[in-house]
Amino acid sequence: MNMVVRANERWGVASERLGGALPIALVVLAVALAVMQPAFLSVANLIGILRQVALVGIMAAAMTFVIMTGGIDLSVGPVLAVAGLVAVLSLDGGAALPVALLLALLLGLAVGLLNGCLIAFLRLPPIIVTLSMLSIVRGSGLLVGGPDLHGVRGQPAFSFIGTGSVIGLPFSVWLFLGVAAALLFAQRRTPLGLLVAALGDNERAAWLSGHRTRLTTMWLYGLCGLCAALAGVIQASQVHTGSATYGEFGTELDVIAAVVLGGTQLTGGKGSIARTVLGVLFLGTLNNGMNILNVPIDIQLIAKGVIIAAALGLGQLRR
Amino acid sequence: MIRRHGISALPIFFLVTFAFFCAVVPRFATAGNLEALMAGYAFIAIVAMGESFAILLRGVDLSVGAVMALAGMVAFDASLILHLPGYLSVALALVVATFAGVLNGLLIVFLRLQPFIATLATLAAYRGIVFAISGRQLVPGLSTTALDDPWIIGLETYFDVGATLGVESIAVPAIPLSFLLMIVLLVLFEVLLRSTRFGRDFYATGGNPEAARLAGIDLRRTVLIGYALSGFCAGVAALLLVARLTTSTEALGNGMELTAIAAAVIGGVRLNGGMGSMWGPVVGTFLLGVVLMGLTLFGISQFVQQILTGAVLLAAIAHSRWLQSRRLLPSAPEGS
Amino acid sequence: MSGLALLEGRALSKVYGLSTVLHPTDVVVVAGEVRGLVGSNGAGKSTLMKILTGAIAPTSGHILINGEIASPGRPLEMLRRGVACIYQHSNLVAEMSVLDNIYIGRQPTRRLGLIQRKLLREQAQALLARHGMDLDLDAHVSTLSTVRQKEVEILKALALDARVLLMDEPTAWLSVADVARLHSTIDGLRARGVGIIYVSHVLDEVFAICDTVTVMRDGSVVADQPIAQLDRARVIELMVGKTLATQALGEANGAARSAPAAGVPRLRCRALSKRGEFHEVSLDVHAGEILCLTGLVGSKRSELVQAIFGANRFDSGTIELEGVPVKFHSPRAAIASGVGFVTEDRHRDGLMLDLSIAENLVAATLGRYRRGLLLAGERIRATALRLITALNIQPPDFMKPVRLLSGGNQQKVLLGKWLDLQPRLLILDEPTVGVDIGAKAEIYGLLRAARDNGMAVLVVSSDLEEVMTIADRIAVMVAGRVVRTRETCETKIVDLVRDMGAVSA
Repeated sequence: MNMVVRANERWGVASERLGGALPIALVVLAVALAVMQPAFLSVANLIGILRQVALVGIMAAAMTFVIMTGGIDLSVGPVLAVAGLVAVLSLDGGAALPVALLLALLLGLAVGLLNGCLIAFLRLPPIIVTLSMLSIVRGSGLLVGGPDLHGVRGQPAFSFIGTGSVIGLPFSVWLFLGVAAALLFAQRRTPLGLLVAALGDNERAAWLSGHRTRLTTMWLYGLCGLCAALAGVIQASQVHTGSATYGEFGTELDVIAAVVLGGTQLTGGKGSIARTVLGVLFLGTLNNGMNILNVPIDIQLIAKGVIIAAALGLGQLRR
Repeated sequence: MIRRHGISALPIFFLVTFAFFCAVVPRFATAGNLEALMAGYAFIAIVAMGESFAILLRGVDLSVGAVMALAGMVAFDASLILHLPGYLSVALALVVATFAGVLNGLLIVFLRLQPFIATLATLAAYRGIVFAISGRQLVPGLSTTALDDPWIIGLETYFDVGATLGVESIAVPAIPLSFLLMIVLLVLFEVLLRSTRFGRDFYATGGNPEAARLAGIDLRRTVLIGYALSGFCAGVAALLLVARLTTSTEALGNGMELTAIAAAVIGGVRLNGGMGSMWGPVVGTFLLGVVLMGLTLFGISQFVQQILTGAVLLAAIAHSRWLQSRRLLPSAPEGS
Repeated sequence: MSGLALLEGRALSKVYGLSTVLHPTDVVVVAGEVRGLVGSNGAGKSTLMKILTGAIAPTSGHILINGEIASPGRPLEMLRRGVACIYQHSNLVAEMSVLDNIYIGRQPTRRLGLIQRKLLREQAQALLARHGMDLDLDAHVSTLSTVRQKEVEILKALALDARVLLMDEPTAWLSVADVARLHSTIDGLRARGVGIIYVSHVLDEVFAICDTVTVMRDGSVVADQPIAQLDRARVIELMVGKTLATQALGEANGAARSAPAAGVPRLRCRALSKRGEFHEVSLDVHAGEILCLTGLVGSKRSELVQAIFGANRFDSGTIELEGVPVKFHSPRAAIASGVGFVTEDRHRDGLMLDLSIAENLVAATLGRYRRGLLLAGERIRATALRLITALNIQPPDFMKPVRLLSGGNQQKVLLGKWLDLQPRLLILDEPTVGVDIGAKAEIYGLLRAARDNGMAVLVVSSDLEEVMTIADRIAVMVAGRVVRTRETCETKIVDLVRDMGAVSA
């Protein structure tokens, strides 16, 4: 096998333990759920989990790179919402499907690039920039579409994105797997992957070694926005509606939680798409399990917060 | 002094903005509008002060909105379900809010989580708890019942200054209790930060934690108290808001973290920690208030206002960075 | 008062696992005496200092303060008992006033914790008067110059009634005038009976200010004498051992190139200026030559070479590479033109510590390892193995994260990264800081080999022995200006020292 010499496949002690603990935790969780509720293991349920996590998974994969550079993107929720809205409104307005999709995706890309530009070139702090952008995008969406839900009818091709299946697996899951595979490949086998790792580890050293660090960072945020837009299109297709009110606060938490559970450091540096996918699956399984076991919503929220805090704390303590 | 450029410019900027809107918007500075401004933003200013404690320590508190909802719901439930006397409901709400802040501090100090992720996690947990204890869900009839306990409702009082002073000719705005409460807290916090040893320790912890540690300052205690204060302020603000609404909802305080951080940043509280005052966030809040109120009176929709809040925050932080790059504002300490 | 032993360490040692970094050592700090502590990196100086300040606990031995045993490993207690340390990096809160910094954490208070402002100010003024120092108590520390900040740190220690001051490289970042000012402050402290340990790698300063000197090598004290009994050569000899001393002193640089360079210089700088940093700098570096740019810390050499490399801007002047005018706007442009730059601080600017040796080695030449969209793994591996062998990088595991290597090996990885570029011009900034003697010699060999292959090499170095060892020509910079350029074969160290003492602009 042509192995690129990647040190972050052999992490330092703490992350290795956490990363190493995750697959085991996932297996343990799955086994426990299977025992408590055999219906968990049904094909329909398992596919259901995948469909549930597809949206978050797409965003989490892209967010991994952003977090690896030491940044964060809090604006993915509104971007998701507004991209879906744009797609729906365009279709309603008579645009062809490819055009509508292109508009939505370009919007996400543009917002991401704007974030990236402010963060990489003006050196403004990512939390504040993306928090502001969250507000700006949400407000813009509400301005364009109001707080209403906009339905879309008679668009079978569009509906297929969110509700269609290909050999048994929902199309949205294929998209998720496609995005994850592409980014995984990029991380392991392309110069970009090495560049992102270098950037995250020591941006100044990477710059002094001749890399275009600021441009790369900007494009990484652009990718994040693009993926949020893709998720928005899928969601709009799934529920046949677009609205500026979707992607409520909590979306970013799910995405960031998945990335962080996967062992990527918020301070930048180490990170792995593969482990993010594991994190996504873990959270998805947890959500699904809690639903199957009829755990009330509020407890679910609390549990999520506690688990994230505990997982991170454990990782820190071993340091 | 050039060094203080970024901070002393703020009151001037505020007055300029105020004057601008007075000129552009007809009937801007009426007594009614000023009352609305004070009543509408005093509690936000209190949250902003609390948030500033977290930012001064090089951290951030993203859970302030959730803590507000929690405190509000606790007061609601205590009063309408448990039928506790008002003063107990108020006290309970404040205790819960402060404790929520302490929990944030514990996660940061003992689990060594980054403030951003710790408060993001508690944000989710607290919102969850709010849903769990929500009186409106537990007892259906309550969602339409108004709070009527005098201790709580009494928080929404106005002092007719004009009548007291016997001024007849011009309409003097009545001063809301919330505004006075804000002033009291402002003074108390300023004295705490500027004139007590704890205050000096606080700035040291945020400005250069290593130096603080070597000087024997208890970093853990400082951080815990800082986040406790943030929670406390969120609690006070929640009570004021609940008094105004005569009810509490699960969505109370939604988005408050953005406004609080914006007000603090506009007010010159530096994100790197160690620099800022309590005046800044207060003036920053009312600056935002003037702008938003002016825009509303001008007929600009609240969606545009949402956009503008974000844009103003961006502008404020960009301005701050620009000043730092021109060395007019000191940036992070060298060699630390 | 003089002659009283304020702080004593008896048989202090430190062992980490199997390696002994400090052999049982005795040390004494006497009232009214300035004791220099010198030694190469890795000699045990900082370990000893850390034990004395309580930052770490010794494996064996004990510490006596004024004759009483002190608990080891308790920095706050050492501070309370009068032992203070002035570190290299700033330990002040930049945004607070001088007054607040001096009494940080200890202001006198009334009820409710309110600070007694008047009392505080009186105490501070008395302190200033007692030690003859003059500072604006209300100035924010961030507005003060570095030397005044050091004075604030000294006052902070004195406010704690420190009788013993440990100073770690106190003149790093200071200009010549500031060094003089600091030394006069130290004279004042000495007169008042304070005992001082002065750790420095700048031997001239040690000879100027210290009464006694302790020389360390390989974890042991090899000499402990009044300074009057020693001279520079002897101290260097003690620091590095006899044979290396001869090599290091290299008054006759046997490895100098055979013939002086001719033709169009590889690098030609004319009148480079940047306000506040360097002024009218002109120098040439020829192919097949090593030019060393030396001077005291603060002479802005790093800023100059960063400007040449495109990592810093400059206001005016020209740069020519083999006769072609260039102006690099970024390191990327410089690298594309065949210029490499080994940075001064390998941790901060040079290496990606958590990435592997191989990843670091190809960081500057990544373009060569593309195959279409992919990264050519086998080619990277091959290059890594080749460089590891050529530079003798230990351990020779190309997947090992660089963080786990010793300082010397890390520096070799950094050097390897740039050598792989095969640049026309290689710039190195303090290439052997924190590197052990063995690796140092290897690095010198590599530089000479590169030079012999036709590379133009520009080395920034404050280490005069190093300069005399490897340079073909030497340029001396003082406060941003080049004051003299010499051929090494015509130079002695004293000449360089004299140049550097030239009045700064």
